[in-house]
Amino acid sequence: MRSGLKGAMVMVAVGAVIAIAVLRLGVTPTAGRADAYTAPRTADGKPDLNGVWQALNTANYDVQAHPARPAMALQPAPPRTGPPGLGRATPSDLPAAPVRALGAVGGVPAGKGVVEGNEIPYQPWAAAKKKENSDNWLTRDPEIKCYLPGVPRATYMPYPFEILQSTDKILIAYEFAGATRTIHMEESGSSPSDTWMGWSRGHWEGDTLVVDVTSFNDQTWFDRAGNFHSDALHVIERYTPVSQYHLMYEATIEDPKVFTRPWKISMPLYRRFEKDAALLEYKCVEFVEELLYGQLGIRDPGAAQTHK
Amino acid sequence: MQRLYVVCVGALASAIMFAWLLPASTAAQNPAPAGSKDLSAVGSAKAETANAWTPSRTPWGDPDLQGVWRYEATMPLERPRELAGKATLTDEEVARRDALEKEQEAKRLAGVEGVDVGRQPLSQSPIRGNEYNSFWQDHGRPRKVYNRTALIVEPRDGRLPFTPDAQKAEARSAARYGVGPYESYLDPDTGERCLTDGVTALMWQGPNGGHNRIVQSPGYVTILHEEYRDRRVIPVDGRPHGSIRQWFGDAVARWDGNTLVVDTINFADKTHYEWANIWTRPSETLHLMERFTRTDADTIDYEITVEDPTTFSKPWKAVIPITKLPDKTEIYEYACHEGNYAMANLLSGARAERGGR
Repeated sequence: MRSGLKGAMVMVAVGAVIAIAVLRLGVTPTAGRADAYTAPRTADGKPDLNGVWQALNTANYDVQAHPARPAMALQPAPPRTGPPGLGRATPSDLPAAPVRALGAVGGVPAGKGVVEGNEIPYQPWAAAKKKENSDNWLTRDPEIKCYLPGVPRATYMPYPFEILQSTDKILIAYEFAGATRTIHMEESGSSPSDTWMGWSRGHWEGDTLVVDVTSFNDQTWFDRAGNFHSDALHVIERYTPVSQYHLMYEATIEDPKVFTRPWKISMPLYRRFEKDAALLEYKCVEFVEELLYGQLGIRDPGAAQTHK
Repeated sequence: MQRLYVVCVGALASAIMFAWLLPASTAAQNPAPAGSKDLSAVGSAKAETANAWTPSRTPWGDPDLQGVWRYEATMPLERPRELAGKATLTDEEVARRDALEKEQEAKRLAGVEGVDVGRQPLSQSPIRGNEYNSFWQDHGRPRKVYNRTALIVEPRDGRLPFTPDAQKAEARSAARYGVGPYESYLDPDTGERCLTDGVTALMWQGPNGGHNRIVQSPGYVTILHEEYRDRRVIPVDGRPHGSIRQWFGDAVARWDGNTLVVDTINFADKTHYEWANIWTRPSETLHLMERFTRTDADTIDYEITVEDPTTFSKPWKAVIPITKLPDKTEIYEYACHEGNYAMANLLSGARAERGGR
């Protein structure tokens, strides 16, 4: 009897713990419920966003909804030999020759997209340029060349990033290409030049870190699908803690030279909470030198041959 | 490092613009460059009042090393050959060099450039950084003249204790510099390739003045080096070394009183690349110990001990004063690889030269 009561009490206690855990962690983190969670505070009383974070989606392939396909770089299949279904079977679009060896590794996973309403409001000329970018992905995507990834793309590349939160500066350190942004939480002047990663000014709105990013150049993309912007890009990011392990990320994108109105993306970011989670090096410049410069020299180290 | 500048013009175009802008703004914010602070450095050896000054603390209680820092003294890494056996300068020698610094600074601020400032060829310049093309790293205010004749304090001769092979590699590197051959992208040095100049050099020298921002967060000290946008996120939380070899190794740190002690191992072997200076190249046997001690509001005593039997016959140690720049000083984006037109031009130039023979 005594042991039975004890067991019942244990079960009630366990149930309560689970209920609390579900309340705290199990709730689907949506922006609408963000106010249900209060982030822990830093020593100077600000919401504590320190940690290693990573997106888990396919937005870096294409921020818009997209089905799976064999490769980012495709080439048209040979023409059919007759009306569909009546002649012999022919392949659909094929991986382009330079990426064919990658097989399933080079495939593109499907994604529901991260753009609110799924529409990017391009001006007509810009829609045409986006398609051109996409058709020429292999030679144009700055990610392939190990160039600084820009904002917001750096957030949802398949690499972790780390928020390092001091008092008047917050660093966002990205693993890809060793890019780092300094978020100025105090009056910071302005950028003397256009940049790849922008000039970031931050402030707190409740638990949300709001970052206003300007002074971009026109060189970065939003994804591998060729979505692009001009040097008039203005991004407003919002990082809202919604649980100990999640941030909701929103970015409002304005660029009157390219779009007809502002548009918005949003996604959860996940804490990398394995023991000793840390950024590692991804110094990719040396990974792309053969691609970019191999054929320019008297000798091509990759081909081990001498050019005339 | 000054050898780097000639070749990297295209690659560093945007950063170089900042190098020009920065000193100007720094000077504007610090209108008394020849003030008493600089004089205080004159004649002083390594600060011996390290314990007399109590550093401020971060809100979570760590000693505060934050700010933008730069090496602003005139001491070379190695003791010049002509000063062999002479560890310190006389007061007169210090005064003469200090006067030269201030005289040249006045000319620079007046817009004078090149040899008219009083700069000399490398072989004739009495002070490092006074060479004819050193405007690349113009500090915008007079540098501090210390009486020490080298940053290296061990070995006592103030010279890098290269192994015979490393000595040969250094001589070969020096002979190649700006000469070539440039047959492929592997022939320029790691700096010209926009990779790095090496972790041992980053804190205190660099083609554009060696600006570094230190940012602290609970359990971490992060150093942003403007050059090559190199970055070290250093955990100060008691974790052990990992096992992955990297360009910048695997750094862990602890506080020893007010001193940050950084212990770095697990460097990747990059000795097969060309380096502007052989002493900055990492190998798998490199063990780097660094001690950062803030000795006053504007100075970090940066002490490095380098042990690497691949390159050095014994460990060496340097004590390097690093100066804090005014609070509003920023470091800027260093998009080196993104603008490395120099690489393509260097390779096509070499091809044209080959074809012309």
